[in-house]
Order: sequence, then structure tokens, then C-alpha cells
Amino acid sequence: MKYILIILSITICSFSGLAQNGKKVQFVGGARSLITNSNFNSEGDTTTVPRSSGGNTLLDLGFKINPNANTEILGMVRINNEFGGFWGGGVSFDIRQLYVRGVAADIVRYQIGNIDYKLTPYTFYNHNQDILTSSIGTTRIKEDVLNYESFYKENTWRQQGASVNFGIQFPSVVQEIEFNGFISRLNPTNFANILERLYGGGSAVITQSKHFKLGVNHVSVFDLDSTATDSSIYKNNVSTITYDIHFGDDQFSYGLDGESGTGFSRDSYPTEDIYNVEDYFIHFRMYLNNKDKGLKLSLGYMDNGPDFRSFGAQSKRINFNRDNSIFSRYTNDQVLRSISTYDVYNDPSLYNTGITIGLMDYNPIINSVLPYGIATFNRRGVYLGINYTDVNKLVKVDAKVYQLSEIRGQGTTFLKSFFMGNVTTTLNAEKFWEGDKALTLMLSINQQNSTRDGDMEFQTVDLNSTQINLGVEVELVEDIFLMGNLLAVNAEGTDQYPVRNAEGEIINYEEFSVEGSEVNLSGGLRIDFSKKSYLACMYECYSNNLSINDPYLINQASLFYVLKF
Amino acid sequence: MKNQLLFLLALTVLFSSCRKDEEGVIEGPDLNDVYGPFEVVSSLEPSQSNVDYAAGEDVYFTCELSKVIDWQLTITGQTSGAEKIINGTTKFLDFESATWDGSTTYFPMFKAEDCDVMLTFSGESDTLYTIVTIDQPKTNSGFVIADFETGWNPNWTTFIQSGAGMNFNILTTPPAPQKTSYYNMEGTVNWDWLTGLVDFNASAYGSTTIPLSDNGDNLYFNVIVFGAPGVPNGEFNSRILFRFDEDENEDGSFNANNEDQWGFEQIIQWEGWKLITFKYSDLEGSGNGGNIHNPDKLNKVSVLHLADPSSGHAKSGIDYLIFTEDAPLQP
Repeated sequence: MKYILIILSITICSFSGLAQNGKKVQFVGGARSLITNSNFNSEGDTTTVPRSSGGNTLLDLGFKINPNANTEILGMVRINNEFGGFWGGGVSFDIRQLYVRGVAADIVRYQIGNIDYKLTPYTFYNHNQDILTSSIGTTRIKEDVLNYESFYKENTWRQQGASVNFGIQFPSVVQEIEFNGFISRLNPTNFANILERLYGGGSAVITQSKHFKLGVNHVSVFDLDSTATDSSIYKNNVSTITYDIHFGDDQFSYGLDGESGTGFSRDSYPTEDIYNVEDYFIHFRMYLNNKDKGLKLSLGYMDNGPDFRSFGAQSKRINFNRDNSIFSRYTNDQVLRSISTYDVYNDPSLYNTGITIGLMDYNPIINSVLPYGIATFNRRGVYLGINYTDVNKLVKVDAKVYQLSEIRGQGTTFLKSFFMGNVTTTLNAEKFWEGDKALTLMLSINQQNSTRDGDMEFQTVDLNSTQINLGVEVELVEDIFLMGNLLAVNAEGTDQYPVRNAEGEIINYEEFSVEGSEVNLSGGLRIDFSKKSYLACMYECYSNNLSINDPYLINQASLFYVLKF
Repeated sequence: MKNQLLFLLALTVLFSSCRKDEEGVIEGPDLNDVYGPFEVVSSLEPSQSNVDYAAGEDVYFTCELSKVIDWQLTITGQTSGAEKIINGTTKFLDFESATWDGSTTYFPMFKAEDCDVMLTFSGESDTLYTIVTIDQPKTNSGFVIADFETGWNPNWTTFIQSGAGMNFNILTTPPAPQKTSYYNMEGTVNWDWLTGLVDFNASAYGSTTIPLSDNGDNLYFNVIVFGAPGVPNGEFNSRILFRFDEDENEDGSFNANNEDQWGFEQIIQWEGWKLITFKYSDLEGSGNGGNIHNPDKLNKVSVLHLADPSSGHAKSGIDYLIFTEDAPLQP
């Protein structure tokens, strides 16, 4: 033990903010008011009610209590008043957040209740697979609202459970080992055919020196036996190692990092497995960072096995099987309106707030290359990343290009090839003339292409999609910004979309054919009252002709007031 | 720096792997099975040309196709006109997908006869044919209350109103669904709902109770019912009430005051023969007795032919009244 010093620096440093101002009780939270007026138009449609207006005012009021220096309790209540609600009608009260966190015995940092958690990109991670272009202006405001409503913070998933974290530092050989662990409940038992399902895991990250870091990670979704009469036990285990070996200094460094591991998913009765898939993945990247020149380069390789399943990392944000809540049906036949870019940016009810066990459906127009994020199974190939920020912060470029292919063919021995290029360029134009009013432009482009050869025409695949988001923010006078955005999606081609059963096995294919586009042109005005509050009004014109027979238009005026405290 | 780069490159090679060969392995159904051209690879064949269902034999059909497709096997008795339909969506017809156990989809039931077998495909014009011969038809396990093949049992009793055109008799035309005979019930009674009834008394089977299991949850009553519109009004007027009287105190007779009577009424809205099946424990009743289904104490099964007095002529028929255990009758 004499060689081991338990150092509390990690814990105490990271926790020092708990009661930094010495207040026993603080109010935290936010408030938002949103009013929208939408106008729907589809040629020849005399059935759909064309106008919709609504909105709400909500207050997330949190009480942060520090009973002592090492403990913090947060309870947050949401009061939501639908636009037009009066005297209790349309008013709802919900618990939005509840947790207790602190430091136990001055060693272990813990949190119980709501935890926003992530581990590594292949074990437990909230990838953003369905909004691939970055934005400023009007779409940025909407993204912020969606992320806040769905508890998305830096790729974490909101869970109900407990987490612990502590670190041990050593005098020699190894500098430090940091341990993380969590357990959460995915669903309760119904005492009949649904067992209690938990999700737990953790990591041990060893920092050997400033040049080398090694992590061991494990997560598991598992059913608790005997918590229901059903004897089918489900399990999804993922074990990985992460590493980062690099040389150089703060200004110039190069290295290798990555993550590799295995994952299996099993549904079994006591005597037999009725479903069992297992596979591994390898992902590493060489990188070079030149801080002086603001340049970061990376070249990566990934090989994600066809049967690799990790639902903590493969859960999608958008549930494409849900019906959208705004103009959900249209045409005189009142057909379901499929989820569009308009809904992706306007409808929080489409978003998952927790992980989903099982492979979720995806929209090939939005993302057919990595529909489940970087942890997408059945992908192998390379990618190149370039990140450049000029020293004067005038221009920032972030680009990544993937060239991937399937490992196992779907319905044929011919493999699909995938290309995805993603470029985001930010221009702080006022720095050209050293103006004191901000003028920011951001252009983000995502280009995807999926192809497959074949002996027969039905085996071939050729699907192209392009997503463009051009945003402008002009500071007219101090803290008043004019915003404008052009968001466009164009797609054409055909694909064979796999139809899967509950176990994720492909049972059929749907012929997916598309030729059309979506365009959302929006503009507005934002008044910043402080860094934490603003008022924004915007108007947008959205057109969708992805469905050749039933194109439609939506015009919408919105008013946002956002306050965080 | 050179050595460090070499070290990193060596590590990349180390982390790279030789994944097991996936060549030739595909995920999901073959696209060719879903979208490929349709061809008959091998013709339709029965597993045996003659089948003796009474001896427990089955016949299945084989055929290989170039893709997965919706197909339909239609088996038609050359003598009886009975029809069996088997549907599937497969690439192969085999024991699992195309076994015929001698049962019937459309009445009458099959007899000992030659049967034409026809295989058709959804969206394709190809049709394949073969023949299979039934040496002995399928037999059904269960307790037969009546199939009318040996005439009237003297322990069955009947009440027939004195209306117009009353015909409560065992007939052979139109063809019976099972073998050759059935019981016809028709006539016009303009003063009462009841046109006539038949009591199948336990005494017809040599006991005061019909020999059945005591588990009503596992016992099914099956009857093949003929539906026909009335003449000349053309309306479906008939309804049949099935009544089940229990001798709970086992004194040899049913007493409506202190014993259970269960019933089920079937309104007839179809033309031709149709199998009616219900579970004994699903029957609703008077509850004058113990209010517990006791099929082992069943004293009498009654079939009452009813019709609205204002509706005129009504007609129906019954055949093959049989109790089965574990499952409904598979005729």
C-alpha cells in the first residue's frame, strides 16, 4: 500500500463546484415560450385543415440544495402551459430532473437519480446520426430546443439509476487509474411477460504517462431472472479497450488512438438460445495536431462486424416509426405524412429520451452510410479528417470523408460501397474588416452515396443524397441579430431497405426509390438579453417534393423566448 | 520521431485483423428470392400417389421454384367435389409447407376418391397439376352425437310445429357435408319462433349422461350447419339454438329448476354448409344449478330451429354433431 497513494484530486477538483458560492439553496432551470402559426398547402388537398397555431410557455424550476459541502440535491419541476390554456386547462406539472450527488468518504463521487451518462463511442454514446449538418441562425435555435427537450448533452443519454467515479494516483509506473461505473433501469417488470431490465457497466482508464492512456470498458443490458413469469432472458454485452498513444507537446503532437472490442446479443430460455449474435469491431486512427497552425489531421480505419450489437451506442435519436405530431396526415386520402426535415427540426416528440433495445429503423435519405453512428455494424473502410482554424479565428473548416463498404452482403454476395463527405466551414467575416459587429456565415454540406453492383438489376443500388445548411447571423446593432438559413436536402436513386424482425434479423426488403428535394428557407431576428436569454422571431418556408405525387408546402411563423438561469 | 512513427505504424498493423472470410455469406433472404424471375425448377409431385388417412398416413407435395412466391395448392375431390386449399410463401413446397392431412376447406368432406391437385402462383400464369388418390378418408376422433348415416335413432325425440311446408327429415340432397345424409329443418310457422326441435337424449347412447370429459375448457362442440334463404322471400330467416341440459344430481333426468341448462344461438346468414364450433365452457346458461360447466353430466343436447313468425319460410340443416377434445374439429 505504501506505493499507492489515493489522491482525491480528481474527485475534489471536479466536485468543487458543488457549493462554490456557499449557498445552501439555489434556484436553477430555464423558461421558454414558443408560439407558432403554420400554414399547410398540398395541391388538390381539400381535406386537411390547412392552418395550425399553438405553442406553450414552460418553466423548468429546479431547487439545488446543498445540505453540506459534499452533497447536492436537485429537484426540477416543469410547469407547462399550452398556448390558450386557462385556469388549469392545458396546464401540466412534471418532474423533469431529480438527483442526489456528492462525494462519499472524500473518495467516491456518486450520483443517484437522473444521470446523463456516456462512456465510449462503441459502448454507451448518444451519436447524432440524423442531423448531420451543423448550423447557426434559426436552425441552431431549433436544435437547441430539441436537445434540451430530449436531454441531449454532449452525446449523453439520460438514464435513471446511479453512477460512481473515483481515481487512484500512483507514484510510479502508472500515473493514475480512473474508475467509472453506472447502473440504470431500462424498464420495470409487468410481473407477466416483461422482465426487469437493467443496463450497467463501467470503465477503468489507466493513464500511464502523458503519452499513453489505456481504458477497459464494459456495458451490459440484462434481464433480471425471475422478475416475471416469462423465462426468456435477454442480454447484450459489449467489452472494449480504448487507447491513446501520442508524442510531442502541446503545440505539436501526433499519435494513435482507437477502440476495439466485442459485443454479443442473446435472447435465451434456460435450456436454449433462441437468438444469439456475436461479433467484434476494430477502430483506430492516426492523428496529428499542430496547434500553431490550427491544423488537425486524422486518418482512421474501422471494421465493425456485421453481427456487432451495442444498443447503448447504436440507439438512434429519432424514432422513424412514430407519427409526426404536426400535420400528421394529408391529401384527400389522409395518408400519413412521412417524417421530413421539417419534422426533424420542429417535433420533439419524434426524439427518444433513452436507449432502445433492438435495431431501429432509419431514413436512407438522411443517413444510409452510418445510420447508427460510428458504431454502425457491417461497415469497413477508412476515413480522413481535417480540421483547420486559422490563427485569427477568421475561418474554421471541419471536414471528414468516409469511404466504407459492407462486410457481409444483404441478400446478395455483392457488397454495398458507401461514401460520405461532410464539410463545415465557418467564416467570422467581421474579422476581415475588424468590425465590432459580428457577421458569421456557416456552410455545412453532407454528401452521401451508396452503390452496389450486381448481376441483376434488382441487386444494384445507387442512392445519392446531399444536405446543405447555409446559415448567416448579422449583428445589426449590439445584441440584435438578423438570421437567415437555407436548409436543403436532395436525394435520388434506389436502395433495398432491409426489413428486420424484433431480433434484428432481415426478413425482407423494401424497394426504396426517391427523386426529389426538401428546401427550408428561413429568416428571423434574435435579440440577446444576456448570454442566457434571448427572444427570436422567425419565418420559414418549407417545400417537400420527395413524394412525387403529393408534394406539399409549409409556411410557419414562430416566436421563441428562451431563458436559462 | 522516425522511430516513434514506425512504432505507431506497427501498432496499426497489430490492431488490424484478418476477419473471417465472409465471401459467399449473405444476410437476410436472397434478393433473387424476392425480386428474381419466376421459373418452375422441378414439377409438382405428391410424396405418395395413394394415401390412407384412416391408417394415419399423410401426403405432402414437393416442388422447387426459382424464387420465394405466394402459391396456392387447390385439392379437389373428383367425386365429392370437396376442396382443400393450402397457401404458402416459400421457394420450396415440402413436408413443412405443403402437407395435406386429409382435411377439408370447403365442404363436403373428402371421400375415398381421386383428387385433382392444382398449384398456382400469385402474379404468374404457370399452373401445375398432379393427382393423388384417397384410399380411406380422414377419421376424426371425438364423440359423435349424430351424423344421420344410419337413420333415425328411436331415443332421439322431436317436436315439429304444424306449420306449412314442414320438412324435418333426414335427407341426402343437397349433398351432405359428411358422407351422404343430414337432417333437414324447414317450414313456415307464423305464430311462434320455434318451428321444430330435436332432442338428442343420452339414452340414445346407452346411459343417463353422454360419455364426455369433465373438463369444459378442453371440450368443443362441433356441428356443420346448412344455411339457405327462405322461399320465396329470399331472406335468411333461420337461427338455431343449441341447448345442453345437465343432470347434475344424476337422477337420470334434467330439472330446469335446480340444474344447469347451457345454450348457444347461431343466426344463419350464409348459404351452404359451414362448421360451427364452440368451447363447452364458453356456453352461457340459466345458472339454476351449480352454475358450473359439467359436460360429464350432460343429459341431453337439443337443436331448436327458430324463425321470426313474420318472416315466412325458413330453412336450415345440420350434420355431424361431434364433441372433440383438445381442439375444434378439423374436418
